[in-house]
Amino acid sequence: MELLNVDSITMKFGGLTAVGNFKLKILPGELIGLIGPNGAGKTTVFNMITGIYTPTINKIYFQDQDITGIKPDKIAKVGIARTFQNIRLLDNLSVIDNVMIGFHLHLKSNLASAIFKFPSYVREEESIYHKSMELLGKVELEKFKLEKAGSLPYGQQRKLEIVRALATGPKLLLLDEPAAGMNPQETKDLMSFIQKIQDDFDLTILLIEHDMKVVMGICRRILVMDYGVTIAEGNPAEIQNNPEVIKAYLGVDVNYA
Amino acid sequence: MKKQNEKILTILALIVLGILVYLAENNLDAYKLRILNLGAIYVTLAVSLNLIYGFTGQFSLGHAGFMAIGAYVTSLLVLPPYYKEMIYILEPLAWPFTVIHAPFIVALFLSGLFAAIAAFIIGLPVLRLKGDYLGIATLGFAEIIRIIANNIPRVTNGALGIKGIPEFTNLWWSVGVAIVTIYIIKGLIESSYGRALMAIRENEIAAEVIGVNLTYHKVMSFTISAFFAGVAGGLFACLLTTIDPKAFMFVMTFNILIVVVMGGLGSITGTVLAAFLFNFFLEYLRPIEAGFNIGPIKIPQVPGMRMVTFSALLLVVILYKQKGLLGGFEFSWKGFFQFINKLFKNKRSSEGSTM
Amino acid sequence: MSLNLFLQNVANGLSLGSLYALIAIGYTMVYGILRLINFAHGEIFMLAPYFLYFGVLIFHLPWWASIIVAIALTATTGMLSERIAYKPLRDAPRISVLISAIGVSFFLQNLAIVVFSGIPKAVHRPEFFKRLYKFGEIRIQSTLFASVIVSAIFLTLLIYIVYRTKTGLAMRSISTDIETSRLMAVDVNKTISITFIIGSALAAVGGILWGLRFPQLFPTMGMIPGLKAFIAAVVGGIGNIPGAMLGGLILGMTEILFVAFLPVVSGYRDAFVFLILILILLFKPDGILGKKVQEKV
Repeated sequence: MELLNVDSITMKFGGLTAVGNFKLKILPGELIGLIGPNGAGKTTVFNMITGIYTPTINKIYFQDQDITGIKPDKIAKVGIARTFQNIRLLDNLSVIDNVMIGFHLHLKSNLASAIFKFPSYVREEESIYHKSMELLGKVELEKFKLEKAGSLPYGQQRKLEIVRALATGPKLLLLDEPAAGMNPQETKDLMSFIQKIQDDFDLTILLIEHDMKVVMGICRRILVMDYGVTIAEGNPAEIQNNPEVIKAYLGVDVNYA
Repeated sequence: MKKQNEKILTILALIVLGILVYLAENNLDAYKLRILNLGAIYVTLAVSLNLIYGFTGQFSLGHAGFMAIGAYVTSLLVLPPYYKEMIYILEPLAWPFTVIHAPFIVALFLSGLFAAIAAFIIGLPVLRLKGDYLGIATLGFAEIIRIIANNIPRVTNGALGIKGIPEFTNLWWSVGVAIVTIYIIKGLIESSYGRALMAIRENEIAAEVIGVNLTYHKVMSFTISAFFAGVAGGLFACLLTTIDPKAFMFVMTFNILIVVVMGGLGSITGTVLAAFLFNFFLEYLRPIEAGFNIGPIKIPQVPGMRMVTFSALLLVVILYKQKGLLGGFEFSWKGFFQFINKLFKNKRSSEGSTM
Repeated sequence: MSLNLFLQNVANGLSLGSLYALIAIGYTMVYGILRLINFAHGEIFMLAPYFLYFGVLIFHLPWWASIIVAIALTATTGMLSERIAYKPLRDAPRISVLISAIGVSFFLQNLAIVVFSGIPKAVHRPEFFKRLYKFGEIRIQSTLFASVIVSAIFLTLLIYIVYRTKTGLAMRSISTDIETSRLMAVDVNKTISITFIIGSALAAVGGILWGLRFPQLFPTMGMIPGLKAFIAAVVGGIGNIPGAMLGGLILGMTEILFVAFLPVVSGYRDAFVFLILILILLFKPDGILGKKVQEKV
């Protein structure tokens, strides 16, 4: 059974077609890369899957359930989490709060028990705290738990955002340019981190990236977009040798030996 | 610091507060008591505005409207029926308002409830708006409420308002309500739901993607905020003993906003201090308006100087101390003792944090 | 309702609407450039007739000189308020600027109470402005002609400035993207000051015409017309200058006709205008002529 079925969706903004007839089927456990020049529509695809935009035409299915146009908070409940190209952390909240908020959607305690601190709520809150510390441990951020999230260095902010997404307990994780702004060592760490969390948390991952080392290194299947449409799909070797892909990135015909 | 110890300290502090209130009620004159009462009522108003604005990040300018609802509900419930018939001179009071009568505490609770219901109805559509638009829309609703109050003399006695409201509000009530307000709102803020509200303030899109239901949380915060504004309105009516639609113009919301901004958005401690300071200064700056002497120089009577001063003060705070006069500081027993420790250069260190 | 009565109401609506339009333009220009609702704009509108009144009565200036001085003083006040209260907050969160605007609004109002006293003042109008023209049964104050003609002149002037001059180009550039404009050597500070001067001058004209039509001045007279003019700007499409004029006329007309057709609910006339605002914000927030701007995620 496929986990995600994006069924030829199109996104139009007024007269502009940002994404045209985008198709993608993802099976559980896959690690797929989505690449293409800037403005190709990759983040728009993410936004449609996560409910920020509603596709103008056609539908998206998750575990055979129609999730087209469902609001982002329900998408998170269904099991899809994402990070953002420009990092959207809760800057003025502490690092630990940024992770703990990820557990809120699964909270069983109601409002009254939370306000008046019933024992059932206190237990849940403690459990959330410990689980959050565990997640912070995976990215070595435990000692910063009380720091403001906005004060962390860039690379650590990225890791925090990923960990926050993990807190929601997703089955499908969408990462939007996680390696942006990282040096080669950080990039290597990120690559093994992504593979590790895929194993530890039983995740399926869809990844937008510009850094080809990352894409070719960990993705088993890659889609290439340009001007809103998919121009190629295949494994890393196929994609690297595809003339359409080369033309899209370099803009000229080259003989690629 | 152990939770147990914190609880004991808080109870001790409340007992001390109770003693102070008892002493004040029995020794201070009516003038000073009124100022203290207003201060306490402003605490409730400002902390509740802080909930929707400072913590949830929604710029609501409608607080005076919810206060008005509460004030009228309490007045109508607390006045004895025969008296109501007397004062409604524009048009006779409509049934069932003629017969309803309730004890003060019930009236206060219902004031909050009706204000909350109004907030729920208004909030559902309006909280979809952002920033300035939300401000103007909520301001619009507050004005609509006020204009309605002016135009239904059968219920509100129109522009004449309601006079002779029994003076039920004393320091026990106003401080008591303030304490309850702080307790509940603090409880909300320091919970997972409070985290969700602050997430909405920090980054709405991120909050939604993490699974926070925006509509539920915004409306919840707005409704709770309005509830306490309504209760405060009831206390206000039974303190001033007369209310009319003019008391709830935008100036009222602006005053509460001044308190919230000066105390610091998102700081309950600051709000409490600012609420009392605001009312003290408002009263004690009156001499400026009456005219006074500095040595040989006679400074003339200048009505309105208070508000000019306050507006200027607000501008100064906004321009130079955006985190409020206290810089976002929040009181905690742990912080208090750490401060004392530092003062006495005691080498006793506090251990790692509990939650 | 007889045709004459209807036409009379239309005339009144046009008159009121053109005044709203003059004020609304100031709101929309400032919002277009700074994304700020200038709460203090209503007070700018209020100050002009006061300056005029003082010019004539205290300084014994001739009317035409007083009008010019009043406009100049009001425009200066507008520009100063921007320099003092808004410029330092240009990089602060938008809420801070909004609160600052509310602060300026109350400061000016209370300053007016202090300086001019809160007691309403009756303005003594020159003969010209008291004349009533009769068309059949319809009575039209000369101020109606004045408002409509003046508004039309200024709108044309303004459209010329915005679309045909370098300053106007700078304004449009800043309203699209202030950062890039800075990088392109646009003198942002000067352009913003000019915007405030123009907007305040127009509000001053509106205020003077208002003072001549309703010759009772009081320091809080700017609040409600100011709010309504803002609503007019939203109706027409905030940030859009022809939209502000259109919105002003529509709002003025609707308000008068609402009271004309339903005199029973005339006490609710302001509430009705607020209701229009809320409905527009909920269902067509870009207004009639506004463009939808997608937020990039």
